[in-house]
Amino acid sequence: MKRRHLFLNSIGGLLVSSALATGLLAPAEVSAQDLSVFTIASPAGFPDLDPATSFSNDGAVLANAYETLTRYIPALDGGEATVEPVLATEWSTSEDGLQWTFKLREGVTFSDGEALTAAAVKASIDRTIAIGGGAAFIWWPLDSIDTPDDTTVVMNLNTPQPMDVIAAAGFAAWIISPKAIDKDNAYFNAGNTAGTGPYNIERYDPGQRVILGRNENYWGGFNEGQFDKVVFEVVEDAVLLQSMIETGKADLTYNLPYENLDSLNAREEIEIVTNSSFQTLFGMYNVQKPPLDNAKVRQALSMAFPYDDVINAGTNGLGQRAMGVIPRGIWGHDAEAPVPSLDLEAASSMLKAAGVANLELTMTYGVGDTLQSLAGELWKANLATMGVTLNLQPMAWEAQWELGKSDPAAAQDIFVMYWWPTFITPYDYLFNLFHSEESPNFNLGYYANPAFDDKINAANELSGTDRGASVAGFIEGQRMVIDDAAAVYMLDLPNVHAVRSDIKGYVDNPAYGHVPFVYQMSR
Amino acid sequence: MSFAEYLLRRLVLSGFVVFGVAFLIFLVSQVVPSDPASLYAGPRPTADQIEAARATLRLNDPIIVRFATFVSDMATGDFGISYRTRRAISQDLQVFLPATLELAFLSTLMALLIGVPLGVLAAARQGRAADRVLSFSSVAAVAMPTFFLAMILQAVFAQWLNVLPLSGRLSQQFALFDSFEQVTGFYTIDALLAGNIAGFFDAARHLILPALTLAAYPAGVAMRLTRSAMIDILSRRHITAARALGLSERKVLFGHALPNAMAPALTIVGLSFAFALTGAVLVEIIFAWPGLGRYIFEAVLSKDFPVIAATAFVVSLCYVLMNLAIDLIQALIDPRITVS
Amino acid sequence: MRTLLARLGWPGTISLLFIALMCLGALFAAGLSPYPDQGAGTPNIMNKLTGPDLQYWFGTDHLGRDLLSRVLHGGQVSITTGLTVVIAALLIGTPIGIIAGYSGGWVDETLMRITDIFLAFPALLLAVLMAAALGAGMLNCILAVAVTWWPWYARLARAEVLVLRNQPYVETARLMGVSPPRILFRHILPATFKPLGVQAALDFGPALLTASALSFLGLGVRPPTADWGQIVNDGRIYFPERWWVVVAPGMAIFLMALAFSVLGDAIRNANREKDDSND
Repeated sequence: MKRRHLFLNSIGGLLVSSALATGLLAPAEVSAQDLSVFTIASPAGFPDLDPATSFSNDGAVLANAYETLTRYIPALDGGEATVEPVLATEWSTSEDGLQWTFKLREGVTFSDGEALTAAAVKASIDRTIAIGGGAAFIWWPLDSIDTPDDTTVVMNLNTPQPMDVIAAAGFAAWIISPKAIDKDNAYFNAGNTAGTGPYNIERYDPGQRVILGRNENYWGGFNEGQFDKVVFEVVEDAVLLQSMIETGKADLTYNLPYENLDSLNAREEIEIVTNSSFQTLFGMYNVQKPPLDNAKVRQALSMAFPYDDVINAGTNGLGQRAMGVIPRGIWGHDAEAPVPSLDLEAASSMLKAAGVANLELTMTYGVGDTLQSLAGELWKANLATMGVTLNLQPMAWEAQWELGKSDPAAAQDIFVMYWWPTFITPYDYLFNLFHSEESPNFNLGYYANPAFDDKINAANELSGTDRGASVAGFIEGQRMVIDDAAAVYMLDLPNVHAVRSDIKGYVDNPAYGHVPFVYQMSR
Repeated sequence: MSFAEYLLRRLVLSGFVVFGVAFLIFLVSQVVPSDPASLYAGPRPTADQIEAARATLRLNDPIIVRFATFVSDMATGDFGISYRTRRAISQDLQVFLPATLELAFLSTLMALLIGVPLGVLAAARQGRAADRVLSFSSVAAVAMPTFFLAMILQAVFAQWLNVLPLSGRLSQQFALFDSFEQVTGFYTIDALLAGNIAGFFDAARHLILPALTLAAYPAGVAMRLTRSAMIDILSRRHITAARALGLSERKVLFGHALPNAMAPALTIVGLSFAFALTGAVLVEIIFAWPGLGRYIFEAVLSKDFPVIAATAFVVSLCYVLMNLAIDLIQALIDPRITVS
Repeated sequence: MRTLLARLGWPGTISLLFIALMCLGALFAAGLSPYPDQGAGTPNIMNKLTGPDLQYWFGTDHLGRDLLSRVLHGGQVSITTGLTVVIAALLIGTPIGIIAGYSGGWVDETLMRITDIFLAFPALLLAVLMAAALGAGMLNCILAVAVTWWPWYARLARAEVLVLRNQPYVETARLMGVSPPRILFRHILPATFKPLGVQAALDFGPALLTASALSFLGLGVRPPTADWGQIVNDGRIYFPERWWVVVAPGMAIFLMALAFSVLGDAIRNANREKDDSND
């Protein structure tokens, strides 16, 4: 009897605790609110919210709080790329391309009430250059800025450059309020904003979420249906991202597993928006290290790369064949580039002809990057059939880069990485990845070819004044690194976003990574 | 040895351990093949930016000077700036440390509340079916990989049954509309301080799954320890005497046996707390819990050395302090300990 | 068989058989796997993420590889890692503990404070730091976990030695002028084998769990080789929609750790009963 008593008591205890648990299980009451909220489930946090030095995912937040003089609208579906006015309404360049004049939009005020003036623009750019962090180097052609009157900004250059495109950059080109000019990095990273954009940061919980509210001073004004609040929820995990978009806890997200996209798209309440991105994946061959110093060997390896399989298995068929390093949508993209295709037999005999046998190569790539590891594993399988052993070495980016920058003779054989441009020019890709460097920085295949250097430098000189000639020059330059097989050009990544179907006005602009321009949207 | 002497000795030793930890961290940082300057300079630095960073970080100083600077920085709580979040690390810690401690405290509480009563029950039913089932469960709880359990709990309770939140610390509406001031950084406590009952329940609901995951292992251990301690004590004379006097089984178990069997409880608290601090790395990633574990892991991946050093230091400090407290309490309860 | 059953009891015997089965499966993975090359890492993308069926009993992963073959091959790495960690920790920790316990004085104090420093780091955190410092790879993973493990053996060995040091037979040997190294090797070391051995058996599970956690965090072996933690990590983004990618390797870790715990308990109990009956 007594023992049963004990048992009953324990059961009673369990019942009480489960009653408490039921209280906890009931979802909390939501206070009635009429405010409309747009929620982005962001797979990455925001490392630097200082508009001068921000150089990664934080652009997604900054682009809703700050504005640039211009905005780049990519050339897709065969159209022409254009540059759209934002804070500058019109601009012109001198005949020699060394002087650019921007006319500022009138009646624009910053969220703190300060007026947008030419002096504010000059001060913002000067601050960025003075700090010299992040992508400040985009302003390298700039010699000085003149402000003849409150609405005119004159940029004097050392060398002709497309300043309209540079001023549209997603990094280091934000215009900030005169009141914030002397603020330091910590000020901005505490969640303070001082821009002309439609929203302001209201609350910032690092590693967790950013909440933006309307900037009531916004020059464009607000129409009915536009959102009151913008929330970025930082959720690194793909499983959680997917769950949030499925349950409507998020209106927009990305970085979902490609394999899950079809079933998501089949749901009525979710739309999958697919677009080309400006991000391309490639593996740079170490051209200093025998036998990879032989272009024939590199060409043979590139012919063994399973281009279609990687696109199909890695991106569910959404990626596109890379035509060199310059993706679709960027001026200077070469739709007819002579890229190799998969031919294991030809590759094998080419390798034999080069007198190479028992080749063992090391490929470094980003740890945890599914696409890169899949590309590596599929390539490895193909190469094994021709007697080449490919060792896959996943590394944290910093470590991978560190090894890449060390002595080429001791470094990796193949360096796999993504590239995307800081501002939209083919020069960004070709210069950083293949222009000869005294000590390697991003040219991690150590390619050095004076003819190529001259070719792209000349094309770049023309980019501000003669776009046609410039494009032709870049295409010729890129064909050199394709013929030389300086790298294996794996694929251009798709930009895939999952959006709730009731969201109107969502447009993906690959020039700005994963930036949602929330002002354009409504529910 | 008097208690005062024991206390002094333990304090000195703890100080030595903390210094040793700092030295070890510094040593590891020197071995790690990475260039702090290029990390500090940002995602795509130019050579000039790297050189400037090298000067800022004073990497050209001799190694002895750097170690001295490092120790004095640690001692004064000036952990520097994170390369990755660009914020003062002490500021980041103010956010992330309470999040993890809240989890650690709750999981420790859960481990005790689940493990001890079930251990008592198993002991009372020694050798019977209930004991066998409970004993096996305790072994199973210990053998379960934390990350696997986290995934299963999340799938079942958040995704399938949809009764508990999937991830995070707080629902959006409490950040957006019904926000409360963050005083302690423990959301449940802050919500109560602000009188925000709905906020309290929301924060508590978010805590359940991650805390339960972390509680599984220590609860299993607690059950085993309590069971064996109880069995040991139940066989002693004064219990037999109490039974003979006709005291109810409940009184015998909870009134006489359990208090004597509570010695393992302190051990469990220490173990559970340590496990929570460590397991946090796995659990916080899966539940998107913005705590120290996730902070450490991301810092490790991006070789964000100041953060690695600061967090390793803080975690070891928590750990050492916890152990110190437990040892001292044990010494107070059982003065024999100070002798050995 | 009957004596085994009598000594270990049903749970211990079943665990032992299960462990033996898993070890054999891992050892002969190449022969036993339905698709050995997939087990070793060759992709089979035509069949990616298919659910369990007659062809693929445990389903396939994101590269279409048969998960049964993957788990068998992964067992090689996981089991080796677990065992090596425990052995390495024993080899580092035991001598340190014995020397500390036997020498006493400042040697003991110094060695024990060093172990304290290692113990002041939560194990997984230290392993994560070490793995990050050393880079990915099986050997580094083993090293990273072993570094967190040896202090426990050092403490245990020291405690054993402290007891043994004052045993009459050691006392006698010392008085007879036997040299300290000889006492250590002939009299003390052998006597520590049993308690340390039981502890090692009990520790295999936790060692496996820690190593799996490291792999799960992406700090373990290099692909295409994979241990169980790595396979779970690879499949995690498809869970729970495609549960099989995680369940097979996850259960392998769980059951293996469980079997070792149960077996360790059974051995300990068997020893205790034997000791009791000897008394």
